[in-house]
Amino acid sequence: MTLENTHQWLLKEGEGIKVQERDYAKTGYHLEAAVSEEKILPAAHYFHDQKFFLECLTCVDYTNKPEDPHFIITYQFNRWEAVERVLLKLKVPKQINEAPSIASIIPAANWYEREVFDMYGVRFSGHPKLERLLLPLQSKIHPLLKSYTGTGDSDVRNSLELIESDQEVFDFNVPEEMKTSRKEYYLNLGPQHPSTHGVLRVLLHLDGEKIISGEPIIGYSHRAHEKMAEVHNYLQFWPNTGRLDYVGAMSYNFCYALAVEKAMGIVPSPRVEYIRVITTELNRISSHLLWLGTYLLDLGAFTPFFYAFDEREKTLDLLELCTGERLTYDYFRFGGVLNDVPQEMIDGVKKFIPEFRKRLRDYRTLITENIIFIKRTKGIGVLTLDAARDYGVTGPSLRACGIGYDLRRAEPYSIYQEFDFEIPTEREGDAYARYLVRMAEMEQSLRILEQAIARIPAGEYQSGKIPKAVPACEIYQTVESARGQFGIYLVSDGTQIPYRLKLRTPSFSNLNALGPMAKGHFVSDAVSILGSIDIVVPEIDR
Amino acid sequence: MIFPELFRMSICAAIVIGFVGINALFLVWLERKVSARIQLRHGPLYVGWQGTFQTLADAVKLLGKELVLPKQADKFLYLAAPLIVFTPALALFLVLPIGPGWIIQDLNIGMLLVFALANISFLGIFVAGWSSNNKYGVLGSMRAVAQNISYEIPLLLSVMGVILLAGTFKMTELISFQQQQGWFIWKQPLAFLIFFCSALAEANRAPFDIPEAESELVAGFHTEYSGMRFAMFFLGEYTAIFVSSAIAATLFWGGWLGPAFLPPAAWFFVKTYAIILAVIWVRWTFPRLRSDQLMAFCWKILTPAALVNLLVTAFLATWIN
Amino acid sequence: MPPESVTQFYKIDDLVNMARANSLWPLTFGLACCAIEMMGTGAARFDLDRFGFGVFRPSPRQADVMIVSGTISRKMVPCIKKLYDQMPNPKYVIAHGGCAIAGGPFQYPGQYAILEGIDKIIPVDVYVPGCPPRPEALIAGILALRDKIKKGIPPAAQVVKVPTSSKEIPITPTTPS
Repeated sequence: MTLENTHQWLLKEGEGIKVQERDYAKTGYHLEAAVSEEKILPAAHYFHDQKFFLECLTCVDYTNKPEDPHFIITYQFNRWEAVERVLLKLKVPKQINEAPSIASIIPAANWYEREVFDMYGVRFSGHPKLERLLLPLQSKIHPLLKSYTGTGDSDVRNSLELIESDQEVFDFNVPEEMKTSRKEYYLNLGPQHPSTHGVLRVLLHLDGEKIISGEPIIGYSHRAHEKMAEVHNYLQFWPNTGRLDYVGAMSYNFCYALAVEKAMGIVPSPRVEYIRVITTELNRISSHLLWLGTYLLDLGAFTPFFYAFDEREKTLDLLELCTGERLTYDYFRFGGVLNDVPQEMIDGVKKFIPEFRKRLRDYRTLITENIIFIKRTKGIGVLTLDAARDYGVTGPSLRACGIGYDLRRAEPYSIYQEFDFEIPTEREGDAYARYLVRMAEMEQSLRILEQAIARIPAGEYQSGKIPKAVPACEIYQTVESARGQFGIYLVSDGTQIPYRLKLRTPSFSNLNALGPMAKGHFVSDAVSILGSIDIVVPEIDR
Repeated sequence: MIFPELFRMSICAAIVIGFVGINALFLVWLERKVSARIQLRHGPLYVGWQGTFQTLADAVKLLGKELVLPKQADKFLYLAAPLIVFTPALALFLVLPIGPGWIIQDLNIGMLLVFALANISFLGIFVAGWSSNNKYGVLGSMRAVAQNISYEIPLLLSVMGVILLAGTFKMTELISFQQQQGWFIWKQPLAFLIFFCSALAEANRAPFDIPEAESELVAGFHTEYSGMRFAMFFLGEYTAIFVSSAIAATLFWGGWLGPAFLPPAAWFFVKTYAIILAVIWVRWTFPRLRSDQLMAFCWKILTPAALVNLLVTAFLATWIN
Repeated sequence: MPPESVTQFYKIDDLVNMARANSLWPLTFGLACCAIEMMGTGAARFDLDRFGFGVFRPSPRQADVMIVSGTISRKMVPCIKKLYDQMPNPKYVIAHGGCAIAGGPFQYPGQYAILEGIDKIIPVDVYVPGCPPRPEALIAGILALRDKIKKGIPPAAQVVKVPTSSKEIPITPTTPS
């Protein structure tokens, strides 16, 4: 129903918006519209008022076309209630190199636009603070431009220059009135910090121990995944998918495999689908266990870390039997998986499920009902629905606010609609609710595993020879990873190397929402909130 | 005239310092082993039999570490802080009754001296964080000040019940009172629990280890200390734990009293180390409280409970007598 | 014939080296994927505490070993150098994983984002290859460091020279696309 409404509105806008329908099954979109510069702000207002959330904002570089060098800024909107993906495209000619900013309407766009500026050099007029996001502030390069192929300058020299001019890394332009303030001050949480899971820096503006504002500063783990995708071919990109979110790497493998299979029209065999689901759900359990151990370590409970890691080692053993890896899996391939699943692993999973159920019950008594834990997490870091929508939060953080948006149900992929499982939700939106949602999700993963193990058919585990070049297309594929919605926006030009591969990672949006969550809390709570969002920093920085 | 006393004091001082060193070595090893067993692993295993020389290796390594002095630190305070933390804990050995007649100085105000001296060490923590000129250090110090000042009150009040019943501050008389009338744990169980919690907070042990909260404040007040100066803080902490447990054993569990198959001094140590085991156990079981929740716990729960305990004890004591 | 006193000094050196080797305190410093394997090595199944390695110190002033685990992005380099400078002597560095050794899977011609190996700016004692290395491999690396210290080999911090100023490295011309 609302798809019709959106289509009508876009048509009604007349000059400046040219809308087309798209085949959702082939591309992942429902509607695509080319908007002009004057119409992008009204369109952003419309989508914001109609309760859409900004899924992704990125840029594709067509400046190597000699007759019409331009950038395409893509805006992707979606809804929680029913999937309705709209792709807006704004053409920015190269000589203008500027686009209007929608950051004042939709807060999520703030970081996305900074990233486009960082990577492409496109400026956004009206942006509150347009500076680099991922690269060091004094960088002079815009790496994702097609014309950039590396400076050839020594990385050591560049690093030493950064060391010598490290003023911007640690010093901060303290406003004049703050210099004489007796109560307010700035404190850096990170980049080296025992509690941030990876290298993340949060700049806290404090009044005593109370947080006035907390701003995450990212980029300390930027490893150029998207540029590597444009330099290497599709097969060479597989190891990257395993290293984005190394804790829950199977979902990322899954998304990449599904994206390219969608583009090439390959349908994997039933056994492959079951293998993929089994390994992904096992990986989801191990990812949640890692989160549990590290979260409690942040709160000061040293012992559950060891118990959670012990259980996690059991899942790692099982996954090692078929993949050969412990952590950064690149196990899936286009049309299949790398190795077949040995019978030893199936038996191991059958044995693992009841043992782990028992251990989940233990966690419930030891942690969920512990008064100190409840005091540290209840009412801390409440995420309102409006804030969640404004920042594009997905995953367990969103389900703890009451919205049952899980991509395994909302946009079923692979064979998930054949399984009987629930989507756990809570209402309060605080850290305790997020904890409960993840504990319940582990139980639901066990349910899926049980059903999958019982029904796994015999058959092929690979699809045979597939062509190396992906036909020209523009698709968006998304999966539900342990942290939220992971999406791949793929623009292919028919060659063996992707033209543009944008990775829409859940932690990027989830971390963006730290500002409203941390306001008014104490420093100890900031640590608790960061842990409860469950971020993995390399997937934020890519 | 004075020389025999001076001689006795010197011998006692030497024994105490030696004991404190050995105790720290043993306690660190014990803590690492007990925590490892709680966490499903072994702990130090290869350095000596079952890792018994591990702490010795740690101590020798810390002795050989480069001593760092941050450029903008307040030099005198920075150097003095570890000593301020360590020395009062050492001085408390003056009034510990280890056996019948085995006490260095049986002062009339024994218990009062314990409280007076115990309150000095937190000054060292405050000075350490402040003089380091480091934001994390200052945060840790502020928390330590708030915590230690607040928790002295339930500590004192909980012991007042015992003092009321015994009518004396003298350590040896407290024990002889228990010898005749039974251990105080049966008469003042609530006081023991309050004393235990307050002693944990005074020693900055989890779940009250906010000043050195590792996951939040890097290393809290001792962020800028290295080598032997850092080791002094740890020595101070473990000595404080030992002394607090010894006081608890003396006040509530009868001190060196016990059946004859062990010498009295052995009973003293057995009871003290049993309480220390409980302290270690609590540390590795619970998460950490937030600093304002800690204050709320002290002022809204422990202090009223201690006051009520005192009132009830006073009432019952007058009524029974 | 060396006099008696020289022999005694040598023995104390041995003892001190043995103490140092058995009581290395690492700095909590994980950058990326290898950090998870480091945490796993410290966890219950592999237990680094057995070797005296257990106490992970968050403050660089109290740590002896910096286990650089993970890719070093350019933005992170000043932080690493600062942390390394803050550690008191004797200090050791373990390069854990392919990225810390030579850039790992993120190294390709024309890369702009990472520093290809931590030994380009700080001296490294032990290299543990792998992507990520198994916990057994990290333990082997730590035991190798322990043996190195026991033998009396001075730490790389005192022996290896690394460039400290950008003027020491000539500017290479920009390669045209």
